[in-house]
Amino acid sequence: MHIHKRTFSDWALDIFVYGFMIVLGLVTLLPIVHVFSKSVSSDWALVSGRVNLLPVGFQIDTLVNVITSHAFSRAFIISVIVTSVGTLLSILVTAITAYPLSKRHLPGISFIMVMFVFTMLFNGGLIPNYLLIRELHLINSLWSLILPAMISVFNMLVIKSYYEGLPEALEESARIDGARSYTILFRIILPLSMPVLATIALFYAVGFWNDYFSPMLYINDPALKTLQLHLRDVVMENDTANAINKSADDLMNMSPESIRAATVVASTVPILLVYPFLQKYFIKGVLIGSVKG
Amino acid sequence: MNEMITPLKKKAERTAVLRKRESRRRTVWRNIDTYLLLVPGLLLLLLFKYIPMYGVVIAFQDYNIFDGISASEWVGLTQFRKLMHSSEFMQVFANTLLISIYKIVLLFPIPILIALLLNEIRFTAFKRTVQTIIYMPHFLSWVIISGLFMTILSPSDGLVNSVIQWFGGEPIKFFMDNSVFRSVVVFTAGWKEIGWNAIIFIAALAGIEQEQYEAASIDGASRLRQMWHISLPGLLPTIILMLILRLGIVLDAGTEQILTMYNPTVYESGDVIGTYVYRTGLGKMDYSFSTAVGLFNSVVGFILVVSGNWFSKRVLKRGIW
Repeated sequence: MHIHKRTFSDWALDIFVYGFMIVLGLVTLLPIVHVFSKSVSSDWALVSGRVNLLPVGFQIDTLVNVITSHAFSRAFIISVIVTSVGTLLSILVTAITAYPLSKRHLPGISFIMVMFVFTMLFNGGLIPNYLLIRELHLINSLWSLILPAMISVFNMLVIKSYYEGLPEALEESARIDGARSYTILFRIILPLSMPVLATIALFYAVGFWNDYFSPMLYINDPALKTLQLHLRDVVMENDTANAINKSADDLMNMSPESIRAATVVASTVPILLVYPFLQKYFIKGVLIGSVKG
Repeated sequence: MNEMITPLKKKAERTAVLRKRESRRRTVWRNIDTYLLLVPGLLLLLLFKYIPMYGVVIAFQDYNIFDGISASEWVGLTQFRKLMHSSEFMQVFANTLLISIYKIVLLFPIPILIALLLNEIRFTAFKRTVQTIIYMPHFLSWVIISGLFMTILSPSDGLVNSVIQWFGGEPIKFFMDNSVFRSVVVFTAGWKEIGWNAIIFIAALAGIEQEQYEAASIDGASRLRQMWHISLPGLLPTIILMLILRLGIVLDAGTEQILTMYNPTVYESGDVIGTYVYRTGLGKMDYSFSTAVGLFNSVVGFILVVSGNWFSKRVLKRGIW
């Protein structure tokens, strides 16, 4: 069918394209494979520096010890709580707020819209935010991690443009039947918006799960440490003893290097497990956001 | 039939006239249920975005925790003068600009290239595998990524230093050496985000009409020429949009990233405005000075985005707003 024949430049292009992508993929995977190998290699292999790409002298004791340790599991549960409560509330408020803002013909709506968008361009900065959280007595409360992050204006704009793409006739018939806004929103609009809501919920969830800055600022009670704070203690401050809170005897058999690798792996695996299942949603969502937004 | 249509038509005309006469206030009142839906979102906005904006007034005070904003002494531009004369701040400002410029120059074009090249791959299974792999690091937190790279770049037994030593080189202390620390920051930022940042360009490419490629192909254009004359121009609006958005965060060279990676030995090359605000503000409790630094940061960021958008509208007839 094609009149154009494959020329030398086409072959060269293909070789370059596939070569480039293979190198890119390997560079991305390398650090992950390396740390995984270290987490399951035996200590003598680690100490003698023989672990490169593949595990040497396979063992999973360190990994098991890290996962079952009190500090890790507590931090993990706290992160699960913050992420699930935070995501649920955020997606609810964001989806509700986006609805009136999609009615641009209403008086005053465009001004309120400007108020939201302005916060994307200008913010008070770290110290005023910190002082506010302290004034509200939210230091050492998990709400300090949730409430300020509940409205992301960017996410709201994506949802708003999705609403604007829905046919207006859907709402009009319901309005003629006397339905109020909240009925229309919850019965008609939200059920039709599931793809975009799922994507934005995923973005919020990733944000809450990976947040390091706010817990660092607002949480100093060891009992409320999130997973990212626990990771910081182990990775940056080399607090490996606390990482598995075992007796000194047990620690003798595990090098700090191996505990560090195991903690990183234990925190990465949950994300890697759910990620392939979520991929199709976020790609769809980004498409919606970019085409309309 | 007519009897049924006429009353409906009349009713429609009547409501149209009524609508016209209706004052703004009545429109608001009639849609009060819609406005009420704004309440929770607006409250959160006022509390967590606008109150901190009011809080920047402490940059013009000698803020004291016990007196609060209302009773603290006003000192005018003293904090800003202190800022301009601080050699430490100048170093931090230079670091911020350098790291940010490296990130734009080196990392902004790569996602565009990735999108263009992925667009050339017809073997879908391969394409999908590559995409799955390169998006993944975006979902890992900075602490995890710091952990990954501290492991792989470890001077004693990291993979990279093993290779350097194998070739007869001296091991490099990547996280302790001012001459390489910025490169580590830029490389790891690229490792995390270049795949993810390609998504938006991939989406834009998917929006280009396939007929254009077919027509070009019939005219005998090679695939390289098609990339140059169809794909790249098709991406241009998205490229400009992303560049303007990027301008706004020039002074945020990656605060969270650097906080998880640096240590006092590399403050000289790695301390950026965000980390400096954190250290002076919460570390030394110098609230007013640190707020002044933060305000400087916000104002410059704001000016950059607004002027970038103005420039883009004038020259290219396109902007974000």
